[in-house]
Amino acid sequence: MSEHVVLFAGPMGSGKTTAIRSLSEIDVVSTEATNTDRATADKETTTVALDYGEITLDDVTKVRLYGVPGQKRFDFMWSILAGRARGLLLLINNDAPDSVNLLIEYLSDFRELHERGAVIIGVTKSDVASTPTVAEYSAALTAAVPEQLIPVFTVDPRNAEEMRTLLLSLVASVEMRELLAPAPEKI
Amino acid sequence: MNQPLAPATVPSHLNPVHIDAGNRTLAEMQDLASSLTFAAMLTDDGFEIVHLNGAHTDGGRFASMSSSVQALSDAVAHELKIGTNEYVIIASELGHVIQLRVQGHPIVIAALFDTHETLGKGLSIARIAARRMAELIA
Ligand SMILES: Nc1nc2c(ncn2[C@@H]2O[C@H](COP(=O)(O)OP(=O)(O)OP(=O)(O)O)[C@@H](O)[C@H]2O)c(=O)[nH]1
Ligand SMILES: [Mg+2]
Repeated sequence: MSEHVVLFAGPMGSGKTTAIRSLSEIDVVSTEATNTDRATADKETTTVALDYGEITLDDVTKVRLYGVPGQKRFDFMWSILAGRARGLLLLINNDAPDSVNLLIEYLSDFRELHERGAVIIGVTKSDVASTPTVAEYSAALTAAVPEQLIPVFTVDPRNAEEMRTLLLSLVASVEMRELLAPAPEKI
Repeated sequence: MNQPLAPATVPSHLNPVHIDAGNRTLAEMQDLASSLTFAAMLTDDGFEIVHLNGAHTDGGRFASMSSSVQALSDAVAHELKIGTNEYVIIASELGHVIQLRVQGHPIVIAALFDTHETLGKGLSIARIAARRMAELIA
């Protein structure tokens, strides 16, 4: 049985917690707190430490799913958890102000992880805001990280099947990178 | 009364009533323990409401960390089904941090005592402070 650790990152309200809840086969570990920043994301709660879930893909691949808080105030959790992961699923909510630049900003905050691991972008809430388009995100990504082709998909984190497809594709990419550059010995 | 009370939807860190009560509570805490080297009150989601003796500490960052620690401890208590998490204690070489919730409010008190204080006394002072805060904003 192979094991992978995947990190869900992205702005507040992009759907990280929702995605992990959709995917996980175990009761998720959550650290939701009453949200007082309703201006940034109008929802009851926000993640203040982590989400944790697990899923088994094709019977032999176990994936540990970690979600981080979206708010930058918690970036110490980003570094703690990014260190464990080999894959990054970066969610960006299409209704965020200036979401293309926001995505690039978040991506650069996780540069260390996406340089050594694999990364996929999931554009969420495209039912709420129909633009920017996937092509616009792709163009900005190519400009920001010309040496790496970063795939962009639209996805609804509430939909387990869609999330699963995205995760499968990320895991395939992690496995590919591991074949090309074997992971260092586990500590 | 010509000054309207802040509505309940105003977050604590922007609510003058909560800020005032927080300052009073932390000052009273200091009176009870000179070993209190730093204290903060924060919202559950990690915004600092007030702090005391913060000259050497980044209050904003500490508040975020306290909120993460509090939530993780709650998650552990939940996972092990051992009831409500009452305190979080971080006991280190040069001091101990004690955290606890203000009953009935999404507010956490985090206090750093130097090692001249026993853990027991620190706990009892922290508990008094949490009760006091709850009274003041009831
Ligand atoms: N309409 C719509 N709603 C969505 C979509 N994706 C997520 N949501 C909703 O948006 C909210 C996302 O909240 P969370 O999952 O808590 O977001 P998060 O990324 O974990 O946010 P933080 O932990 O605060 O950083 C939830 O209420 C979801 O139901 C989408 O594609 N369309
Ligand atoms: Mg979340």
